Amino acid sequence: MKASANNLNQTQITDTLIDSCRNGDVRAFRELYNAYSGAMYNICLRMTNNVSDAEDTLQEAFIQVHRNIHKLENAGSVSAWIKRIVVNHCLNTLRKKKVYFEDPEVVEVEVEQGLDEEHFSWTVAAVRSAIDTLPHGYRTVLNLYLFEEYSHREISEMLGISESTTKTQYMRAKEKVRQIVKQQNATR
Amino acid sequence: MPEDLERFIQQHRSEFEMPGPSPRIWDALEKELTAKQEGAKIVPLLRRNWFRAAVILLLVVNAGALFYLTSRKQTRTASFAPEVQEANMYYSSKINEKLKIINAYPVEELGLDSAARKELELRNDTYKTLERELQNNPGNERIKAALIRYYQLKLDLLDRILEELQSKKVTPDQTKKHYEAEI
Repeated sequence: MKASANNLNQTQITDTLIDSCRNGDVRAFRELYNAYSGAMYNICLRMTNNVSDAEDTLQEAFIQVHRNIHKLENAGSVSAWIKRIVVNHCLNTLRKKKVYFEDPEVVEVEVEQGLDEEHFSWTVAAVRSAIDTLPHGYRTVLNLYLFEEYSHREISEMLGISESTTKTQYMRAKEKVRQIVKQQNATR
Repeated sequence: MPEDLERFIQQHRSEFEMPGPSPRIWDALEKELTAKQEGAKIVPLLRRNWFRAAVILLLVVNAGALFYLTSRKQTRTASFAPEVQEANMYYSSKINEKLKIINAYPVEELGLDSAARKELELRNDTYKTLERELQNNPGNERIKAALIRYYQLKLDLLDRILEELQSKKVTPDQTKKHYEAEI
């Protein structure tokens, strides 16, 4: 993952808590769930773009976390470890929905130049809404890069596509978002 | 000129977060985990039953051998053949060595009841009967083969029990301490 800070809940997860989880202590596992479920649910929501899928994916991912907690080496890496499990489950959910990451899902994006940009401003709602309208493949790459802070190399490995493809998809996705937000600005 | 999308998201990262999942997700998860743990409890039971099944198998094989032996009329001779004595020494020493290690584990860890533990001992009823048969029929190749087979099965069973115990990566001392701590 890129070096910048991630948005995970910073609740202190100790080796003792992880040991308790390994020993089947459901209360300890609930503590772990409480610490990460919020951030992980948001990943699921962004990736699946659907509340029902996000809930199912979150639940399945935490079942795997519970099942594989003995593989976790230390509490220090728990955050990235859980996040990776959740992201993998999201990708599986998308694959089940026949989302092909290699498929270019070509979106006609014309890079506009020299246009009047002075009235153009980002808002959280507009960006979120624009991302929601992106094709699954583009949205996945954009989310993994911008929100989950994975590098293009990591994304290419996760999706099984080339790094140049993820970069191209990311650039196109970003441009598409910019155009949508700009249109929204214009119609306000 | 608008700022870059990346910078905008970094600066407003927390505003993109939605409220966490519904509490029913945990409820469903807890049910799954509890069900899984019930299942997980079955696994050690199965493992323990595996020991029992193996011991029962040994008993059945022994019983079959005994039935076969006792149903035949045998010729009596005076003493054990040298190869039988050699096999006795070899296998007895191996079996006793492994039994010593296994018996150092607490009874709870072994998961065997007293009858099964007794059956693991070298000189169990089956052994005694075989020995008696062999004393009465020292030259009988089938009895010799049955005795050797008895040794081999027992040794194999003890090895597998030891492997199982050692796969848990605990020594008898650690196990004892663990149980003492639990108590």
